[in-house]
Amino acid sequence: MSLRIANQVRRGPAVTLSVDGQAVEAFAGESLAAALWAAGRRALRQSPRAGTPRGVFCMMGACQECLVRVDGQRALACQVAVYADMRVETGAAT
Amino acid sequence: MIRDPEILILGAGPAGVGAALALADHGVRALVVDSGFAAGGQVYRPMPDTFAPNGTPGLGPDQEEGARQRRLLADSGVATAFGRLVWSIGTDLRVDALGPDGPEFWRPKGLVVAAGATERVVPFPGWTLPGVMGLAAATILLKSQCMLPGRRVVVAGCGPLLFAVANAVVKGGGQVVALADLAGPGTWLRAMPALLGRPGDLLQGGAWMARLAAKGVPLMFRHTVREARALGAGLKVSLGAVDANGRPMRPARDRTLEADSLVVGHGLIPSTEALRLLGAEMYFDAEAGGWVPRLDDDQRASRAGLYAAGDGTGVRGAVGAFLAGRIAGLTAALDLGRIDAGQHARAAGPLRRRLAQARRFGRAMSRLMAPPSGLYDALDAHTVVCRCEDVTRAEVNQALESGAADVNQLKSWTRCGMGPCQGRMCGDTVAQIVALRTGSRAAAGAWTARVPLRPLNVEALAGDFDYDDIPLPTAAPL
Amino acid sequence: MSVNDKARIPGGETFDAAVVGAGVMGATTALFLARGGMRCALIDAGGVCREASGVNAGTLTLHMTRAALIPYAMRGWDMWKNAPDWLGGDPGVCTTDGLSLAFTAQEAALLEERVEARRAQGAPIEIVTASRAREIEPGLTDDARLVAHCPMDGYVTANLTGHTYRRALVEAGVRLYENAPVTGIEAGDGGFRLAMAGVAPRARRLVLAGGVWLEDMLAWLGLRIPIKALVNQLIVTERVQPVMRSVLGIASGLLSLKQFANGTVLVGGGWQGKGDRARHTTEIVPDNLIGNLRLARYVVPALAETRIVRAWLGFEAETSDALPLVGPLRGIAEAYAIGCVHSGYTSGPYFGRLLAQRILGQEPEMPLFDADRLLATP
Repeated sequence: MSLRIANQVRRGPAVTLSVDGQAVEAFAGESLAAALWAAGRRALRQSPRAGTPRGVFCMMGACQECLVRVDGQRALACQVAVYADMRVETGAAT
Repeated sequence: MIRDPEILILGAGPAGVGAALALADHGVRALVVDSGFAAGGQVYRPMPDTFAPNGTPGLGPDQEEGARQRRLLADSGVATAFGRLVWSIGTDLRVDALGPDGPEFWRPKGLVVAAGATERVVPFPGWTLPGVMGLAAATILLKSQCMLPGRRVVVAGCGPLLFAVANAVVKGGGQVVALADLAGPGTWLRAMPALLGRPGDLLQGGAWMARLAAKGVPLMFRHTVREARALGAGLKVSLGAVDANGRPMRPARDRTLEADSLVVGHGLIPSTEALRLLGAEMYFDAEAGGWVPRLDDDQRASRAGLYAAGDGTGVRGAVGAFLAGRIAGLTAALDLGRIDAGQHARAAGPLRRRLAQARRFGRAMSRLMAPPSGLYDALDAHTVVCRCEDVTRAEVNQALESGAADVNQLKSWTRCGMGPCQGRMCGDTVAQIVALRTGSRAAAGAWTARVPLRPLNVEALAGDFDYDDIPLPTAAPL
Repeated sequence: MSVNDKARIPGGETFDAAVVGAGVMGATTALFLARGGMRCALIDAGGVCREASGVNAGTLTLHMTRAALIPYAMRGWDMWKNAPDWLGGDPGVCTTDGLSLAFTAQEAALLEERVEARRAQGAPIEIVTASRAREIEPGLTDDARLVAHCPMDGYVTANLTGHTYRRALVEAGVRLYENAPVTGIEAGDGGFRLAMAGVAPRARRLVLAGGVWLEDMLAWLGLRIPIKALVNQLIVTERVQPVMRSVLGIASGLLSLKQFANGTVLVGGGWQGKGDRARHTTEIVPDNLIGNLRLARYVVPALAETRIVRAWLGFEAETSDALPLVGPLRGIAEAYAIGCVHSGYTSGPYFGRLLAQRILGQEPEMPLFDADRLLATP
C-alpha cells in the first residue's frame, strides 16, 4: 500500500528524480520530503557529532534534519518541490 | 514586487494576511514576505498547485478558509514576496532576505511580525530516529501532500492535534496502532466550557474520538512515549502510564508496540526570534506557549513602528491570529496617519470583541497542549536534548553543576542550541531544565537572538563577485 | 554609601586585591595574584569571559599582532599552548600554521612591509612560494599573489575559555562575584571600597580590567582616558567536512578564518557592526556580513557549499595610540589597569601574568604599558 492517499486528490504529472543515483518516482510539485518519505527513504543524513541517522521531523523548515543536496546545493527537502530529473544526494550534506 | 513598502509584513499566515487586508483597505503600501510559496502559513498550507482535490469535500474547513484568505489577499492587490528567507532585521527596520534572485532588502517605516509558531516535542530516548516526526509535520503531510505519516502509526503527546492526526490517518486508510494522550478524560472535560465557545470544533473533536474508538483504536489516556527503537525499517515504541503531572507510573505495565512511525508533539511555541532580535520587550507566559512580546491593546510592540500578531505573540489559534493581524494593520495605518483614532476605534472595536472570544478558546486549547512538568523530570541522562549537536541531558546537568546560570551560558559551554536549527528544537526543553535549578523560566532566560534568522547558503548569499567587489575596510594598524 | 554601613552589609569583607572585569586579562591577573598568596576577588557584571573573551575569534596569531607587541604575543602563544600547566585545563587550544595573503599589488606591498616589521621583533614569519602555501593549506584559492607563513598560529575555542578559567579560579581560591555590576569605587585610606548591590567588598589593591568599559571605570577614580569601542563581527558555519587546516588572514588584517575540530568554520577579521557599550547592545551590518563572507569564500572556495548559522559581535577596546594600557595608575596608590591589547587573545594571559608580577612586588619580565601617556589633559 502506498503512503500516498489516492482518493482525496488527483496528483500532477509523474516525474522521476535521481536520489543517490537511483530512480525515484514522484509527482511534480510534491514536497521533496514527502517524495522521499513515500519512497521509503527515511534516513537522509547522519548527525555530525554522534553519527546517528536523521530524517524528516518538522516539515516546516525549522529542525534542519532533512538537509540534502539538490542539484549540488544544500537544501531542506521539506522546503523544495520536486521536478523532473531533480538530482538529490542524501547523507552528503554534512 | 514593490521596492519601497511602507509596511512590511513578516509571515503570510492568517495574522500576516489579516494585517495585509487591513492595510490595503486604507491604501497603505504593504509587502508580505514569507519563506513559503503561498499564503496560509502552516495552518492553512495549501496543496501544491499541481494537485487537484478530487471534489471530495471533507479535506476540512481549514482548507476552505485557507483558500478564502489566499483569494482575499490576491484581490487586495497587496504585494507579496514568497520564497524569501528573512535573515536580518535592523533596529532601523532594514529587513534583509535571501530569495531566488539572491540577497535583497527593504527599508519599511513599520514592520508587522506575524511569525507563527513551531512545534514543541519533549525529548525521549529515540526521538531522533527517522520515522519519528512531529504532530504538526504529520498534519502537513496529510493536509498539503495527501500522504500518510505511516501505514501503522503510533500517535502520542498532548492537545487537540492528537485526535485530528489520528482521525486523518484512519480516514486516509492507515492504522493507528495506539493513541497515547498525556491528558486524562478529566482534562478534556474541564476544558469543555471554554471549548463550547466554538461548538463546531467541539463537535468535530467529539466525532473524532468516537470514530477512533469505533475503529478500535486503543485510546490510552494518561500515557506517554517511554522510548522508541529502530526495528528493521520501522520502530518499536514503548508506551507507559503517567500521573497527572506527567511523571512515570507503573513501569512494569509498559507496553511495546511495533509501528512504521511515531507521530508525537507537545503543543506549539511562539516564534519570537525576529522580535527578540529587535530588542522588543518580552515576558514568559507558559499558557501562551513560552516567551511572548509585551503588546498594547492595538498590537504595538515596545518600539516605534513594530507590531506583532498571531501565534508568534502567544498561541491562540488561527481565528484569533487573523483578527489580531487585522488590528495590527489598522494600527499601522493609524500610526502612518492614514486613518484617525475614531476610524481606528470603530474598525478595531468589533474585531477586538471577536478576538477576545477567540482567545478564550485559544487559551483552553493552549492549556490542553502544554506538557506537564513531570515529563522533564523523567528525561534520563542519556537522552539527547539538542538534536543538532547531540547534547545529552547528562551534559546539560554537568554544565549546570559547574556553574552555568542561564541558557546562554549553558549554550556556550555545551554547544546546546548552536547547531543549524539555531536552538529552535531544544530551546524550550533546555530552559525548562535550567528552570528546575533557577526556579523559574524568567530566571533561566531565553537564547539571545542572532542573525541570520535561518541558516544561509554561503554561495547564494555571496553571489557572483570579483575580489574588487569586496568592500574591504581600511587596514588594521601595524 | 558611607564606610559606617560596612558592618551591616553582608559580605563586606576585605581582600588583598579586587579585580573588576573577568575577561582573560582580569581573570589571569586574579589567578596569578591568588597563586602568589593574595586573597583576591574577581568581580564582573556578567560571567567569567562572557564578553570579548568569550565571543571573539580566539585567534592566536602573530600575523595580526602589532609589531611592538610581537614579543608579548609569542610568550602569550606559549602560555595558551601549555594551558593545562597553568590553567589546569584546555579551552580547546589548537596550534597550527598561519598564512597571511595578498591578492593585489597594494596588498602585496603591505604584506612585505608588515612581515619585515614583525620579523624585526622576532616573529618567525617568512614569505613562501605559492606551491608551499598550497602544501600548508590545500583549501587555499589559487589566486594569492603573495603568501606569508608563520608556524606559530592557532586558536582558542573562545566559548570554552570561561568554563576553563572559572574552574581554575575557584580552585585557586579566587572569590568570584558574577552578575555583580560595580557601580562605583571609593578610594580611601589604604584601600578601595566597591559599590555593588547588596555587598561592598573592600580591597587594598584594585585592578580595573573592564575592556571597553574601562573608560567608565577609570572615571570612578577621576581619571579620563578615552577608549574607543570597536564592534567586531564574527560569523560561523554549521559543521562541515574539513575544508581547511590552517588559520588564514590577509595582509590588511581584515580576515581571520579557521575551521575548528568540530567542523564549524569561523569567519572574522574585525569587520564592524554597530554597538552601544553603555546600553550593551550590538547589531550586525548586513553589508559587512556579506562582505566578510565574500572574502572568506574567495580565500577558501569550498566554503561556497557551506551554510552560515550564526553571526554575533564582540566589543574590542582600543586606546588613542592603539597600544595597551597595562600597569599602575599614577597618583592612586595600588590601583592598576589592564586592557586594550590589540590581538588581545594571543597575548592576554601573558599581560595578566606580567601585571600580577608587578602587583606582587616582583620585577615584570617585560615592560608594562604605562597609563600616563594616555591621560587626557583636563
